[in-house]
Amino acid sequence: MQYMILIYEPEGCYDGEAGQAALQDIVAKHMALAGELRAKGIQKDGAGLQGVETATTVVTEGGRQTIHDGPFAETREHLGGYYLIDVPNLDDAISIARRVPVMDGGKVEIRPLIVHDQ
Amino acid sequence: MKRFGEAIAAARPRVVAALAARLRDLDQAEDAFAEASATALVAWPSAAPRDPAAWLWRAALRRAIDARRRAAVRDRAVLDTPAPPPTPEEALMAADEPIPDERLRLIFVCCHPALAPESRAALTLKVVCGLSTPRLARAFFVAEPAMLQRITRAKKKIAAAGVPFEVPDRQAWPERLEAVLTTLEVAYAQAYEDAALAGESAPFAAEVLRLSGLLAELMPEEPEVLGLAALVRFAEARRPARLDEAGAMVPPGEQDMALWRRDLIGEGASLLDRAAAFGASGPRQILAAIHAAHCARAETGITPWADIAALYDVLAAIRPHAATAVNRAVAVGEAHGAEAGLAELARVEGVEDWLPYQAALAGLSARAGRKAAADRAYAAALALDPAPAERLYLETCRRRLEP
Repeated sequence: MQYMILIYEPEGCYDGEAGQAALQDIVAKHMALAGELRAKGIQKDGAGLQGVETATTVVTEGGRQTIHDGPFAETREHLGGYYLIDVPNLDDAISIARRVPVMDGGKVEIRPLIVHDQ
Repeated sequence: MKRFGEAIAAARPRVVAALAARLRDLDQAEDAFAEASATALVAWPSAAPRDPAAWLWRAALRRAIDARRRAAVRDRAVLDTPAPPPTPEEALMAADEPIPDERLRLIFVCCHPALAPESRAALTLKVVCGLSTPRLARAFFVAEPAMLQRITRAKKKIAAAGVPFEVPDRQAWPERLEAVLTTLEVAYAQAYEDAALAGESAPFAAEVLRLSGLLAELMPEEPEVLGLAALVRFAEARRPARLDEAGAMVPPGEQDMALWRRDLIGEGASLLDRAAAFGASGPRQILAAIHAAHCARAETGITPWADIAALYDVLAAIRPHAATAVNRAVAVGEAHGAEAGLAELARVEGVEDWLPYQAALAGLSARAGRKAAADRAYAAALALDPAPAERLYLETCRRRLEP
């Protein structure tokens, strides 16, 4: 089964000098994990996302579309990256999600993909 | 007819688990079992089977295969199941095999931590024990449509999110076992709290008793599983004495011991001894030991309150909770005097709006001779919407304050 692993981290957790140092450390851990998962044929895709200050949202409402500066929802945690993996079941996906490096307060959501036959 | 109904209920966990393992679909397993049971009630009175479980397993598997064949013909599509379904021939051959014991796998699926604890409890009681949705709705104090939705959502998540039909591996075992234990605790809390429903919850409690016994049978080397099975037995042993003739709650220390079920106390004691032999204590074993201490009054004539207070000390250290602190204060009050209990109770913070706290405060104040404080606390407790049995009890206690 294919699962999307969505990484949410607290806003501003990489701010400042200490935050930047932590970011380098976390990125190195992502590289190591992604390398291992790709080598095993588990990881299909994945990327880190630039900060929410770069986000733009297109809203469709009442047949009209408008462009907004910023992410779709003002929340304390922001989507920071994702992995797309293919593993036999949810328990395997949970094992991988546990290994995804995050800052304190980070949340990793696991969502199975919709499968279309053929 | 009642005899056949009981045989069907007894066979259910094993047969439904084996069907679910074979079909990889909880709904199909449940439906097939229900159809086989209906057939059995017609067929058995004239020809009782030697092995009811084996009979139901064969009948249910044939029905499930027929249903799949019909669905496949209707849809002309690939069967939409996570695992490759067995061919009808394979499955029919399998039906002549002895029923595989897949109960532990089924329990771990229903108690998966990816489901909310309330969903796990409802699903486990529905699928493993066969409780009906209306009965579960009553036990969990929710409307039937809400309960149906809870169960449907849980089943859908298991299928759609790819929850595996497996016993977890060693690495995941502690967390997964904890999920099973909390599921059973949620189920039992529902059965225990609503003694006020006077009889309504008794059949539900009987199912939880059965389920906890099944877990102890399937995991005989897990001390917390044994501890929880013991806990349920000690608590259920006192159920017949928990209400008086007027329907008012009776606290353990004042219950008529002649009404206690000695058979369950004996079972609980032997389970707790087996758990203790592993030398790995845990919160369920300590809670069971507290219940055992209350039941010890049946042997010695006195409740060992100092022992109970000491057990609450240990429990508070490993699982701090307001309920533990309040119960501990009550035990200290019984063991070392009401003033000592009040001093302990005063150290519990942020519980003013909590019924057990106000009830404990009222009881200890009354025993300490502080009538005004007791009256205030009884009024506060009664304002916190106690269940009918507890309301009657609190009202009686409050009246006793009057000169």
